[in-house]
Amino acid sequence: MEAVRIRLEQIQKTFVHRIKGEVTAVDNVSLEVAPGEFLTLLGPSGCGKTTTLRMIAGFERPDRGRVFIGHEDVTDLMANQRNIGFVFQNYALFPHLSVFENVAYGLKVQGKTSVNIDREVARVLELVGLSGYGRQFPHQLSGGEQQRVALARAVVIEPRVLLFDEPLSNLDAKLRVYMRGEIRRLQKALAITAVYVTHDQEEAMAISDHIAVMNEGRIVQIGTAEELYLKPRDAFVAQFIGRINTLSAEVLALQGGMVSISLLGRAFELAAPPDNLTAGGKIHVFIRPEAVTLTRKTGGDLLLGVVTERTFLGEKADYLLTMGDDRLSATAYDPLRHGTFAVGEKVGVGIEPGVIHILKERGQ
Amino acid sequence: MPDAVAALNPSDRLRRMFRDPLLLSILIILWALLALFIVYPLASLLIRTFTDEGRFSLAGVFGILADPMQRQALWNSLLLGTLVGLCGTALGFLFAYTAVRTNLSKGWVFFLDAAVILPLISPPFTTAIAMIFSFGPRGLITYDLLGLTSVSVYGLPSTLFSETITFFPIAYLTLKAILAGIDPTVEDMAFSLGSSRWRVFRTVTLPLTVPGIANAFLLLFAASLADFATPLILAGNSFPILPTQAYLQITGMFDLKGGAVLSFVLLVPAFAVFLLQRFWVSRKYYVTITGKAGAKTEIKSVRPWMRHLLLAVCLLISVSILYFYVLLFYASIVKAFGADFTITWKHYHVVFTEGLQAIRDTLIIAGIGMPLGGIYSVVMGYVVCKKDFVSRRTMEIVSMINYSLPGTIVGIAYLLVFNDPPLMLAGTAVIIIACYVFRYGPTGIRTTVAILQQIDPSIEEGSSSLGASSGTTFRRITLPLILPAFFAGLGVVFIRSMTAISATIFLISINWTLITVRILEKMTELELGVAAAFSILVVVIVFAVIGAISLFLRLFRQPGAPDMANILGG
Ligand SMILES: Nc1ncnc2c1ncn2[C@@H]1O[C@H](COP(=O)(O)OP(=O)(O)O)[C@@H](O)[C@H]1O
Ligand SMILES: [Mg+2]
Repeated sequence: MEAVRIRLEQIQKTFVHRIKGEVTAVDNVSLEVAPGEFLTLLGPSGCGKTTTLRMIAGFERPDRGRVFIGHEDVTDLMANQRNIGFVFQNYALFPHLSVFENVAYGLKVQGKTSVNIDREVARVLELVGLSGYGRQFPHQLSGGEQQRVALARAVVIEPRVLLFDEPLSNLDAKLRVYMRGEIRRLQKALAITAVYVTHDQEEAMAISDHIAVMNEGRIVQIGTAEELYLKPRDAFVAQFIGRINTLSAEVLALQGGMVSISLLGRAFELAAPPDNLTAGGKIHVFIRPEAVTLTRKTGGDLLLGVVTERTFLGEKADYLLTMGDDRLSATAYDPLRHGTFAVGEKVGVGIEPGVIHILKERGQ
Repeated sequence: MPDAVAALNPSDRLRRMFRDPLLLSILIILWALLALFIVYPLASLLIRTFTDEGRFSLAGVFGILADPMQRQALWNSLLLGTLVGLCGTALGFLFAYTAVRTNLSKGWVFFLDAAVILPLISPPFTTAIAMIFSFGPRGLITYDLLGLTSVSVYGLPSTLFSETITFFPIAYLTLKAILAGIDPTVEDMAFSLGSSRWRVFRTVTLPLTVPGIANAFLLLFAASLADFATPLILAGNSFPILPTQAYLQITGMFDLKGGAVLSFVLLVPAFAVFLLQRFWVSRKYYVTITGKAGAKTEIKSVRPWMRHLLLAVCLLISVSILYFYVLLFYASIVKAFGADFTITWKHYHVVFTEGLQAIRDTLIIAGIGMPLGGIYSVVMGYVVCKKDFVSRRTMEIVSMINYSLPGTIVGIAYLLVFNDPPLMLAGTAVIIIACYVFRYGPTGIRTTVAILQQIDPSIEEGSSSLGASSGTTFRRITLPLILPAFFAGLGVVFIRSMTAISATIFLISINWTLITVRILEKMTELELGVAAAFSILVVVIVFAVIGAISLFLRLFRQPGAPDMANILGG
């Protein structure tokens, strides 16, 4: 089957919450997922990811806006008319049906013959590595196995799109890494358009073609993992994707597309600042810990810092530095080769102007 | 009841109701039934109590309250209820604590469960008969063992003892569930903070159980308040209580109005308990039962000697219960208990000749009531839990009324309204069946709701995402999952049809009679052997049915399928 495009046009959903009153769970979201693409909705808990996904699935009807799957406007169709595969956070396996019956359920609904059903189920169970599990019941399976049954049940009906709502959050860390590889492999093998919801940035970066970062019901930025990491659109994205230092700075002067700022007691010249800066204004700037270089030498271009905390993690070491009134996190890789610094040691701190981000603040 | 359905505003709800003709017609039928068999009889009872020659009047109530005998009955009922509540809860707690908090082996727990379930499924009078056989004038213990001749078995102490033994299983089942739900790691935590065992019990275990204890007390208070059979036999003339007074007023003095007023007096405390339970206890209840079974850590709550002591006490009581039943059986196969101990089958002969009509009638009534009760439970439970419609909460509360009220009230109310045209149902089987279905269906309704609440909505959405229509989803997913509730509802209606008497004693006729009523008759005719034989027969039938239902439940075993024993306790 040909992979299809998913398109959301300005969808909006408001709930009446018993305690919080009216909550706009999804606020004017537009989104396009190319055929065969794996897109992840990433954001903190309560930002509207699940609601968005449920509107694609048809469990929830948007108050406003349209949902397209392929060329078809499916906004008014019920979930059972949309031909989707949905994997729930809690798997939602049918507790009274065996693994075989769970997977066969969708095929029976389609009215397939039992010969075809047997064949299809066997094929899919093999695909997810559960051949021979057909007679077991859900409660007899481990979390990872239940997860795979859920996956098999979703793909066996050859859905046009696959939707995942935090499918790995009930698994332990190792299994989570393994299963996300499995999910990605399966999606590629079947060449199905997929939308995946998670609040785990590492999972999102590992699994996706594109990531849509959501906050408070809106999509803040869409891009590849790399784009989001290197060119975050605002402070929220920068803080959500990877770690980042937030430091106070002052604008000294603006001229010719350059800005000079005072940061950590020194002046830096940066390119292409956002437009709403004024000379003399106080701003925040952002620097990733891994962009900071540390050396034993001091003086010259280097700033001076004192190590106040050190966390040794094997392939890297994290430091917290005190620099005058400011504190700065820094990460040094490969400590075996480059050695580590002790708490209390004075170190030279190198910051290239290129790694300093001036970003729109939250809510601006 | 948590809202499984998103809250809509009333006009949306109304509009939606009218767009779903199937739902609408089910609602109309349900409301018609509730109105006919619950609201209308109860309203008539109130009207009869508060009118005199067509005008509002408190004369009836004051008339009763002016009579010292009836005032005494009210006071006695409250006293007995309180005492049974206290003793039964204490005993239930002891059993429950021993069963789930002392690392008892499976075999012991099974034994305790078995001993405790007996009183729950027995016909009325069972413990009362056994009490008389043990402690009566020619009793096995008082006369044969101790040689006493002038003791009276009748009065408060024996009634209290008998009711405590009959009803404490309810407390046991309630408290067992809660105690078992307390994660041992919580106690571990308290130990790790340096508490002694006694202190852990006092500061952690007991406080977590308090809502359950309050609930158990209320359940027992209500059960005792409503109990009619035990006091009728054991209370005697010196200790009148309300249900028996109401019964005597109607059957002895043919004073329907007096009976109505008396049952209204009984209704007040019963209704207070209903409200307390619903709006106070049940709210606190859910706080404690967050119970996911935690890590399996050894329960260290009691010292070994304490454990042996607890077990010994429980054993003693269990053995006395079993002794009662052995005695009952023995009495049913000897010529005349206390006088002539020759083995004979003549009592059973009477049961199966003269008593055949009662057996046949009871089985027919139970057999018809059973499927109706099951269907009623499941439909009502599904509708109030899953559908959003105007009057949903009211419907749920009304459906529980007959269950919560003492049987005497329900019986008298039915007698009031179904005795005259146009609803001339008195004397038919219909009235008895209706009484059982609406009185005992609520157990099944609750089970249905409990199961539906455990079914995550995503399971139904899962079915929908696989292309199933809502009809298919209901048929293939929801229905099989609530099947256990169907069996529960059906089983409880059957068992109670075999064992209940307080409401239906007012509803029997020459055409339709019941085993339980025959037992009462035989007791008053002092044919205790026949009464014992009838009781044994009922116990055997009920056991067989419970066995069959448990088997069914096991076949449909799935997360959330309840235990038959727990259903009987609810
Ligand atoms: N059925 C509902 N009723 C009321 N409020 C809801 C409902 N579903 C979601 N919400 C609210 O909408 C917001 C977004 O929820 P959700 O989409 O589940 O977030 P996420 O999946 O990103 O954690 C939350 O504030 C949540 O409380
Ligand atoms: Mg979510």
